[in-house]
Amino acid sequence: MPSDAIRAALIERLRLSSAIADEDIKEIEALPISVRHYPAETAVVRDGERATDCCLIADGFCARSKTIANGKRQILSLHIPGEIPDLMSLFLHVMDHDLSTLTPATLGFISHETLQKLHRRRPGIAELFWRDTLIDAAMFREWIVNVGQRPAPARLAHVMIELRERLRVIGRVDGGNFEMPLTQEQIGEALGITAVHANRVIRQLRQEGIVELNRGRVTVLDERKFQELADFDDRYLHQSPTL
Amino acid sequence: MPRFHFDIHEDSRLIRDEDGQNFASVDVARKEAMLTGASIAREAFVAGSADQVVVDVREDEHAPCLKISITLEVEEPADG
Repeated sequence: MPSDAIRAALIERLRLSSAIADEDIKEIEALPISVRHYPAETAVVRDGERATDCCLIADGFCARSKTIANGKRQILSLHIPGEIPDLMSLFLHVMDHDLSTLTPATLGFISHETLQKLHRRRPGIAELFWRDTLIDAAMFREWIVNVGQRPAPARLAHVMIELRERLRVIGRVDGGNFEMPLTQEQIGEALGITAVHANRVIRQLRQEGIVELNRGRVTVLDERKFQELADFDDRYLHQSPTL
Repeated sequence: MPRFHFDIHEDSRLIRDEDGQNFASVDVARKEAMLTGASIAREAFVAGSADQVVVDVREDEHAPCLKISITLEVEEPADG
């Protein structure tokens, strides 16, 4: 993958949400990034590990999760190209959850040292990345509300619409059609239900003519019903410098 | 590792579990079946879509080795 393709989604995202300055884009384009390829369902950095780099997703899907003593895993967030899901490791030195790939992924690692120097030299970029981690926190708040309060079909619809609105920014939505490469078990782990219950919910949404999930792709069947069910308000994604 | 299938009955509607899942033991499968039944029942009862949820657990195509049944009973005393 050419080096500008590795940064392309990140720059697209920062342009939209934060109105990044042209000089700062040049700085990001010049960042030394070491690229590694990961297979699907592989740990990138584990709970308890000390991170020395931040990881920019160039291609593929990742998830952050935490596993409790009885072995049950809660998926905390989904991540797509252009995101740096462990940006907080720059200041929080030991990981308090896992970051792993969902699909085969191309990841670009930027050393903490490089990022610290960049932040000191370009305060505008520091502010941008600060905002990015705050948006990350806003998404966690919404995830808690979703898992804690919505019925399971609405939970799934909400996670789907959020993913779609984030994929849209990096040009990865094809009409009413987008990627959501999670197994039923992983959907269960994201929604706080068992795999069999997740299967039941996916069937229900298809039978009611709302949305179809097939082999990791979502097809919206009825946009109005989909929005209504999800109770989705995109404000918390702050996808504009004025939000 | 044995592969277990959880067939779900909501009132008279049946959803067969074609895929199944591996569990280390019958005991682990039993817990997962309870969680599944309880969480589907919670939603079905509140939505009013069913009053009874049954989970039939079977190993592959064998007859069910476990049946978990959860029924909603609501009493409204007439003079209450």
